Parts: sequence; structure tokens; C-alpha cells
Amino acid sequence: MLDWLDAFLISGLFGVVQIIGLGLLVHLQMGLTRVANFGVAGFWGLGLYVFGILYGKVDWPFGDPWQFLVCAIAATAASALAGLFVAWLISDLDVDGALVGTLGFATVIFLLATAWSDLTGGAAGLGGLGFPYDAGPAKTNEFIWFVLTTAIVAGILAYVLWVHRSPYGRLLIAVGTNEPLARSLGKSSTRAKLTLFTITSGMMGLLGVMQAVMFRFIIPANVTINITLAALAGLILGGITRAWGAVVGVLFTVALFDIVIQFYVPLPQEWYTQAIPVAREAIFGLALVLVLLFRPKGMLGEMKRPQLMRRIHDFK
Amino acid sequence: MTSSERTRAEIHVRGAKKSFSGRTVVDVDELVLGDSAVEGLLGPNGAGKTTLMRMIMHSIPLDEGTVTLHKRDGSTITLSELPPHQMVSNGVVKSTQVVSDFDQLTILDSLLLALATPGDESPIRWKAERELAKKHEEEIRHQLDRFGFGNPNEVAGSAGEKKLLDIVRCLLLKPDVLLLDEPTAGLPDDITQLVMSAVRELALGGTSVVIVEHDLEVIWELCDEVTFMAEGRVLMKSDPETIRNNSLVVEKYLGADHA
Repeated sequence: MLDWLDAFLISGLFGVVQIIGLGLLVHLQMGLTRVANFGVAGFWGLGLYVFGILYGKVDWPFGDPWQFLVCAIAATAASALAGLFVAWLISDLDVDGALVGTLGFATVIFLLATAWSDLTGGAAGLGGLGFPYDAGPAKTNEFIWFVLTTAIVAGILAYVLWVHRSPYGRLLIAVGTNEPLARSLGKSSTRAKLTLFTITSGMMGLLGVMQAVMFRFIIPANVTINITLAALAGLILGGITRAWGAVVGVLFTVALFDIVIQFYVPLPQEWYTQAIPVAREAIFGLALVLVLLFRPKGMLGEMKRPQLMRRIHDFK
Repeated sequence: MTSSERTRAEIHVRGAKKSFSGRTVVDVDELVLGDSAVEGLLGPNGAGKTTLMRMIMHSIPLDEGTVTLHKRDGSTITLSELPPHQMVSNGVVKSTQVVSDFDQLTILDSLLLALATPGDESPIRWKAERELAKKHEEEIRHQLDRFGFGNPNEVAGSAGEKKLLDIVRCLLLKPDVLLLDEPTAGLPDDITQLVMSAVRELALGGTSVVIVEHDLEVIWELCDEVTFMAEGRVLMKSDPETIRNNSLVVEKYLGADHA
């Protein structure tokens, strides 16, 4: 079974799905509400590490799947609470302030992951993780986990699509485009931002949990800015204000590079250690520059609110 | 009606002062707004009218003094202690002076935004959009027809359309006190008449309306009472005819050749 599927391909697809999920969540934050978040790796990494520590270091009186569920819920809640706290700190700041604030949070998580070695394993990493089930060979377990993660990201996409069609989404757009005017209509922009950040950061934490289980081993290098850049590059390339922007953008960046080029294009083996990772970041950066120069709204263009409203309502 | 209840909500401004860079912009000892159905706030540029409106809405903080809302049920709330977004839930609404809109939202979006409650805007209320539109369908159609908006599914294009949309959003909030800051600026005459008619209708329903307006015809036709401000102070308050013929108002604002 699954002989046709390469383990590297599963891992690559899993990475693509993860970045799409993060890009979708950043779309709600930056695309609709215009709250800048340069700390995606921090919220995602917090979920990753809290899960890893709880699952790997705590002696639970019960085994899987309960052990997984309890640890996953706790890790998701930790990221959600961190999101609430960070949002409270940055809610009144401008874009620059929010960028610095969220980047600072991600840096703190990275430093804790590196320095608090008693708990996190430091640079040596944290192991002892595993799938909450045993379906046979590792590849089968990984494939099932990839499908589960894809289902979660599909759920996030469905939620984002619903948000666009809901009064909640309209509130987020209103706060994003004209906060003083939204407040004059009685909308609590602070509460809207705090709620949004809590939900989206919690979901980022859950994606971190999925990552921890998939690779069964966590190192600080997992939670560097690279994952933030990949999500942002994909989202901006696809269209930051469009619900499908993250999906399209990540397919044209991460999927194209990490799967199509690396998996199907015959490249010299020695390139994989140094040249390819550097080329990847350079190409993402170049793509971003080109998009911002020639199509600043991204591949899908600007938000098409009139068309959406016509589909939902029959006011003429 | 009990002794403490009143026919209209009133705003009481007491000892309100505001300075910018050492220059006093507003210095109002005592002012009651809302004791007439429609009140005008008149004065030359720099009189402090817009700043006073913003102080009432607490979108800029007072240096001194208080602004209180005396509701129709007899209860009192200190507006100058509330965050700006809580004004609407207490029945106080203000239109914007400068043209201001939500860039991405359509006209229909704007109306639904004004009508949505915090419950409608819950991040997990799945059927809220259709329920909201269905609940307010008649009201939305009435406003769209009354003001002749072209296509409600488009984003407001002209400055006039945006200005009108701002007023309609305010009307939909059904305020107890409505502050209109130059509501007809930039609107064509026929739409100005429609706005005035809507304001009269709202006032008849019990809303206290306060208008800052440089179009004097709007003030004379619409207002039951006019407050005249200059250099940050309230100089007089009376019926439009008295204000119109007052020598001080003529000297400081209207000019000797006014009609």
C-alpha cells in the first residue's frame, strides 16, 4: 500500500498544506483587518513546543489518543492566549509597531526554544513524540497525518470563505479600512482585533501541533522567521485580500519550489544542503518584488466585494 | 411619563475646555443640546463647533469639564468617560465632517454594517448574514429608494454619495441624539432636501438633532433653536429669527449684507 507515494513527497505536501493554513490565517489578520503580523513563527512555534513538552516530558496517567488530545488542546489554548496578549499589546499601534511587536514575540519564542534547554532540549532538540495511532509502517502513519492536516486546513479555508460572507467579515474589513469610522458606528475595534488574534493564533498553534507529530522531533530551527516569510510571500503573491490568495500564492511559491523543482527536476545532490535553501529564499524574495512592482494586489487582484454581495443578496 | 422622564434626550456640556498647543479652542461654561427637536450650531470657521462635537463624542478628550447624556428614561450617563465606540449603544451618533467611507465595502455592506449588532458579528454565528439582511430588508429598501442610490452592490463612488451614505448609516442607527457635522456639504439641492426631510422625520420620532452647517438656508429652515459660537465660546442661543437679526451674529458671522 502507498508504494506509489514517496515519503519525501508526503513531507513536501504536508509543508505546503501547513503554509497554506498559516497564509489563510494571516489573510484574516492582515488582508481583512490590516493588523500586521510578522510573528507567525512564534504562535505556530509556541503550539509546536507546548505540545512537544507536554507530550514528551509529562508523565500522563493515560495514553493516546487522550494524551494527544489533551496536549493538543493545551498547546492550541497556549497559542490562543499568547495571541490575545500580543493583540492587546499591539492593538493601538500602527503597522510598523505591530510588525515589530509580533516579530519581537516570535524572537522571544525562538530564544526560549534555544536557551531553555531543560525543557525544550535546546539546540539538540526535543524528541519522544509520535502519532496518536499506529496504522502500520511510518509512511502510512505519515500519510494519514497528512490527510488529517489537510482536513484541518480545508476547515480553515471554509471558515475564511464564511468570514467573507458574514457580518463578522464585514466588521473586520470595516476595522481594517477605516477604524475611526467603524468606532463611530459603535464597533469595538479593539475587541474585534483581540478576538480575531485569539482565534487565528490558536489555529496557528494547532498547525504547530500537527507539525510536531508529523516529524516527531522539534528543534529551534523549526521556529525561525522562514515559516513566516513563506506564509507572507505566498499570501502577498496570491492576493492578500482574497480568500483564495494564500492557496494560489503558496502553490506558486512553496509547492512549485519545494515539490515540483526539488522533487521532479534533477538537481545535483550537493545543491540540497546549501544552494537550494538559499535559492529558495532568494526566489521567494524576487517573486515578491516583481509582484509588488507589477501587480501589487497579487495574482488574484483586489477584493471583489460587489460580486460577492450580488451572489449573497438580491437587493437591486 | 414620570417626573424624571423627558420627551427628548439631552446633552449637557459643563465647564468643557480644550486647548491645542496652548491655544484654547473650546471653552464652554454651560450648554444644553437637545431641548429642542432640531438645533443648529452656528459660527465662523475656528469657532470650535467641530471640536465641541468631537468632545461630546469623546473622540478627543476634554482638558476640563464634563459631557453628560440625560436619557429619555431619566437616567444620566457621563459621555466624557466612555470610549468612543460606546456612544452608539447609548444612543448618541455623529456623522463625519469630512467625506469618509470604507474603501472596500459596497453601499449595501455599509448599511448592513450599521444595522448589525455585536451578536450578529460573532465570529461563529453561521447564518447571521442572511438573517440580518432578512430582518432589515424593508428598512434597507426604504432608504435605498428614498435616497436613490444607484446600485447598492457597488462601492460608493462620488464624494456626495459617500457623504449621503454616512448620513444614512447614522439614520439606521436610530439614535436618541444625532449630531450632524455639515451633513449637506457637497450634496446637490434635491438630495439636500431629502436629507432635511429625513432629519425632520427623525426629530418628529423623538430624536434630538444637532446640526453644524454652513448652508444657512438649512439652518433657518430646519432648526427650532440655534446656538451661536465664536472663538470657542457659546455667545448666544435662541430661535433662528432672533439669531439671524442679532447684531453680534451679523458682525461676527453673517455680515451686514446677509439676506
